[in-house]
Amino acid sequence: MKKQVPLTITFIVGVVLILSVFFPPVETWGEDFSLFFDIIAVFAFFLGGGNLIRVHTERIAKKKKDWGFSIITILGFLIMLAAGLFKLWNPGDISADVAATGSLFQLLYDWMFNPLGATMYSLLAFYVASASYRAFRAKNRDATILLIAAFIILLGRTPLGMYATGWIPESFSVLQIPNLAIWVMTSPNLAGQRAIMIGIALGVVAMSLRLILGVERTYLGMDID
Amino acid sequence: MDCTGKSQKYTYIAILTLFLSLLLIISSANAVNSEVLVEDTTSAFIPNAPTYVTATDYKYDRGESAIVKWQLSSDDNSTGKITGYEIFRSEADADNFVSIGVVLPGENSFRDKSTENGVSYIYGVVTLYNGRTSQMVLSEPITPGTEIVNWNLLNLFIIGLLIAGSVIFFITHAKRGKKLFIRKIAGLEAIDEAIGRATEMGRPILFIPGINDMDDVQTIAGITLLGRVAKVVADYDIKINMPVARSIVMTVGRETIKEAYVSAGRPDAYSDDMVHYITDEQFGYVAAVDGIMVREKPATCFYLGAFFAESLILAETGNSVGAIQIAGTAMPAQLPFFVAACDYTLIGEELFAASAYLSNEPKQLGSLKGQDVGKFMAMMAIALGVFGATIAEAWGGSFFIWLDEFMHRLFTITN
Amino acid sequence: MEVFGLWLAAFFTLGIISFLYKDNPWYKFSEAVFIGISAGYWFVVSFWDNLYAKFYLGVTANDDYMLFVGAVLGAMMILRLAPNIGWISRWPLAFVVGAISGFYLMNYFSSNVMKQVQNSVIPLFSADYGQSMFTESFGTIAGKIVIAAGTFTGLIYFFFSKEHKGAFGGAAKVGIWVIMITFGASFGYTVMSRMSLLIGRMDFLFGQWLGMIK
Repeated sequence: MKKQVPLTITFIVGVVLILSVFFPPVETWGEDFSLFFDIIAVFAFFLGGGNLIRVHTERIAKKKKDWGFSIITILGFLIMLAAGLFKLWNPGDISADVAATGSLFQLLYDWMFNPLGATMYSLLAFYVASASYRAFRAKNRDATILLIAAFIILLGRTPLGMYATGWIPESFSVLQIPNLAIWVMTSPNLAGQRAIMIGIALGVVAMSLRLILGVERTYLGMDID
Repeated sequence: MDCTGKSQKYTYIAILTLFLSLLLIISSANAVNSEVLVEDTTSAFIPNAPTYVTATDYKYDRGESAIVKWQLSSDDNSTGKITGYEIFRSEADADNFVSIGVVLPGENSFRDKSTENGVSYIYGVVTLYNGRTSQMVLSEPITPGTEIVNWNLLNLFIIGLLIAGSVIFFITHAKRGKKLFIRKIAGLEAIDEAIGRATEMGRPILFIPGINDMDDVQTIAGITLLGRVAKVVADYDIKINMPVARSIVMTVGRETIKEAYVSAGRPDAYSDDMVHYITDEQFGYVAAVDGIMVREKPATCFYLGAFFAESLILAETGNSVGAIQIAGTAMPAQLPFFVAACDYTLIGEELFAASAYLSNEPKQLGSLKGQDVGKFMAMMAIALGVFGATIAEAWGGSFFIWLDEFMHRLFTITN
Repeated sequence: MEVFGLWLAAFFTLGIISFLYKDNPWYKFSEAVFIGISAGYWFVVSFWDNLYAKFYLGVTANDDYMLFVGAVLGAMMILRLAPNIGWISRWPLAFVVGAISGFYLMNYFSSNVMKQVQNSVIPLFSADYGQSMFTESFGTIAGKIVIAAGTFTGLIYFFFSKEHKGAFGGAAKVGIWVIMITFGASFGYTVMSRMSLLIGRMDFLFGQWLGMIK
């Protein structure tokens, strides 16, 4: 029962949603499911939030390494919760928009959340440079091809590309870097993208069928051997 | 840094100024033209109405759509005399026409996507010209209805059945003892070695199941792989750390790792703290995982699931602490970064095949064979289609023209 | 207040950037704040947008009682905390996995297989009788041949059940080269956009905060 019921649920729900595409009266069941999922996720959030508080409270209680920062995390979490759920400093009342201008929720978002997220995102500039350095050492043929393609596209998006290859005669204009970059994006790049996408779709089909038919059960914690 | 930023900023400002200047010039030219148009409205021109307005139920939906068609107004002759057509709708037993859309000159159809199943409507179409309208021409009443089966998707059903059928066939006909050849996937072959390295170094394993929730098929693929990885981790008796960005994933991850430890005969070694929730926020999660990486210095990092821009941050930080990194995702935009920064990368389809590959079970491996049959069908369809289209385009021939049209129709989804 | 907010934003910006040098208390503090604030943010958004707007209003204002299915499944998920009946939490999980599998199977199949094959069926070249053999430029024709052959060989590379040997192996090798070109193109394409993110933060620090860029 404990094993069979979940597998049966997976099978029935999976088959119903596959077939619902072909029958207009039930074709929106997929969208209805995403509504259910949003509601399930909110309930699950209590588990996640509870875990967050428990982990950090334990760190504080046992005075583990960096336990002081756990106090900051819990404080930040509780303050943001209070600001949003009770709409503190909100110019309207409890029915107003949670992110109304001047509300504590909006201020915390503008002063802390936004700058922190934007700065983490901007670290990508440094990391892409270091990844490029490592990738462009071109240790094998595949890496060399990746390097050359990336170089062509990179140069093609800057004036340097035209400057470097502008001397190439018009009859061979496709070899000018900007034109070559466009050709690479619209031809081999498109071919590779298509092959990857078709492969992914077939992988999803096979994996979905394994899940629906109950052949794959590790997500339920079963048959791990 | 700031000099580069400054000069680039000034470059952007210069480009923006140039663009705005061009915009100003173009709009003043238009203003001259529009003055000419304004003069035109002083005449009492009333456009001719469209003719033969018909309305039909849009097939294979839930009665939510209707198609309105008409013959173009005689003034619709690309001289700019008219500005478009406006479509009105009223319920058949009421005379309350409301506007539901406007189309450009030259267009002779409109799809109304806001009808109600079983309710009768009458449509009217007028020709527009600078605030003036022609007489409204009405259609006969129609009642949108629901069709039980969407026959437009018959091709999708047949092709889907063929491919899904081949997968199911190989799953169900997989025979025990009959070895099915599966080519080596380097990233999956390296899992044992990577976990062994963690054992030797006495450092933990870090498992990242992606940034999305369980409503993403890639996350499910990552979790199925977690089961396989966790079993090896339990056998080797080393620590696994799995920070997650979604609460449901935390629940599933705990269930999976716990069962892995139970099946390895080490239920006492399992702890719920192995899987812990961080935050739903993408970059907050990454900040925390980066912190975990530099402080705990895992020997092996697994990135298996859906990733976005944070993929490179994770992979580069993992590199900086000297970890072996095995990544797998079906996000084409992130694959290049994983390929560049990680030791092994499962490219797209390989992520979904990984669990079957690691299980070594005939039924699961059979599904990989079915996948290959699907790829073969796609390749044959492309080859046949390109051949037919090329011959038809270059030299004609009724058979090839038919083949070209057939292949296009076969893979076109009409909705 | 504005000035305080500006300085706070600059403080956290520099705290995160300091991670590039090494892990330090400033980064740890910024990280701790980020985790707490962001977890709270998403809980609040989820509460008002999903639990209140979709579920509560859906039931009370729109009489959509089917939404109780989601609520019941969500409640079953929380039962995981109860040791004796924690196994019930597998049922909503099975529901989710089944629904996702079914939904995405058709979704991916129609958009990634049907659509891609449809777009791949193009003539490699066209001829004009009595005028010229080809009506398109060499580059265009070469591009179309590369697209068709590249897609073909790329799919060959992903074959699992056939060994990459002989002619098949050669085609698979060409396939991985095409895929590497794809990755290189993606890589090169995003480098500039990543740089613009950093420019944005530098503009904030040196422009808005320090006022050095006007």
